[in-house]
Amino acid sequence: MNYGRELLKGNTDSLLLYLISHEPTYGYQIVKELEKRSNGYFQFKEGTLYPALHRLERDNLITGKWQILLNGQQRRYYYITTKGQQALAARLATWQDFSTAVKAVMQAETI
Amino acid sequence: MVSNISHYLNRFKACLKIDKTIRDGVAKELYTHLEDKRQELEEKGLSREEASKIAVQSLGSPELIAQQIYETHAQGSWKEALFSASPHFLVALLFTSYYWQNIVYVLIIVALTVSIAIYGWQRGKPVWLFPWLGYYLMPVVVTGILLLSLPQGWGWIAALIYIPLALFVFIHIVRQTARRDWLYASLMLAPILVTLSWFSSFGTGNEFLTVSTLWASLQTNALWIVISFIALAGATIAFIRLKPRRYKIISLLIPPLVISLSVITTSRGSIHPWSWLILLFSLFAFATPVWMQARAQG
Repeated sequence: MNYGRELLKGNTDSLLLYLISHEPTYGYQIVKELEKRSNGYFQFKEGTLYPALHRLERDNLITGKWQILLNGQQRRYYYITTKGQQALAARLATWQDFSTAVKAVMQAETI
Repeated sequence: MVSNISHYLNRFKACLKIDKTIRDGVAKELYTHLEDKRQELEEKGLSREEASKIAVQSLGSPELIAQQIYETHAQGSWKEALFSASPHFLVALLFTSYYWQNIVYVLIIVALTVSIAIYGWQRGKPVWLFPWLGYYLMPVVVTGILLLSLPQGWGWIAALIYIPLALFVFIHIVRQTARRDWLYASLMLAPILVTLSWFSSFGTGNEFLTVSTLWASLQTNALWIVISFIALAGATIAFIRLKPRRYKIISLLIPPLVISLSVITTSRGSIHPWSWLILLFSLFAFATPVWMQARAQG
């Protein structure tokens, strides 16, 4: 089992919600943003992003809308919903608690 | 020549058995992603062909994406599952309480079924519609079978007039449903096949179905008929709630096992040759989804 991959899998939804909460965005931009913000750490098969986005949309955490750009190109932008914002806040709080607890345990061991 | 991107999207669409509007929407989304990637790579100096190839590779297996998208959209809610199973429970209730002998109850259920089926058909064919649609088609099939039991000669004359008309309606609805997903067609046909199986068992020895044997057999076998429709209701709930397609198919195979055992047990093997034929046809129709799935995977 690849531990890093498992961690990413378990937190994909939170990462997507976080990025979409900052600004409405579309699939390809999400992939680029994840790579950029993580300095290339988060790399995955790009296609796996779409099932995750559709799962979040099914659960009413985000909503997708087709938009026509000035050059005539169409893109599906995702927006976070109120339910999504609440879910993200809860996940961030849990993550902070978890991260603090892990750090506390690890630091106690290394001191 | 078909481009890498078109080929990729065709493979994706061929594997994804969901509502056409949703499927086309996801395919369009993948297309915009691939085009963005291709343009970016071309700007870096790659040829169009190389850029398309890399774009497709970075997206991953179209079959895997289709499977994951299917699992996102294929699972119905508990509300949908129970509503889908409701017509089976209603029929089971008819036989539990012997309400099937009361024409008022039967007419209420028929009117309810027809109204819900028409409502669902006009509202974009949601997944809960298909079992109701099966019962909506039932009178069409049952009338055809009953015509065969008319006195010598008359049955065939009536059937010859009736069958082409009935087949036209029947095939039209089945084709429309199968175009969406052949598993939905199986879900829709299931109550008809159960009914056919039971009708087939009511003829004994050399005598095919007659009105007198029909009423007597319905009374004698009421408990087994109830069990059959409860099994069908359970399978429908499982079908709606389960995500993986293979589990949905397995759920559709449970009722024929229960029904075949029930029919063979109650008739004690004394079934008219025509009845055997109908029973085998029903089992074959139930098994079709498995064959189709194996073919799709092969």
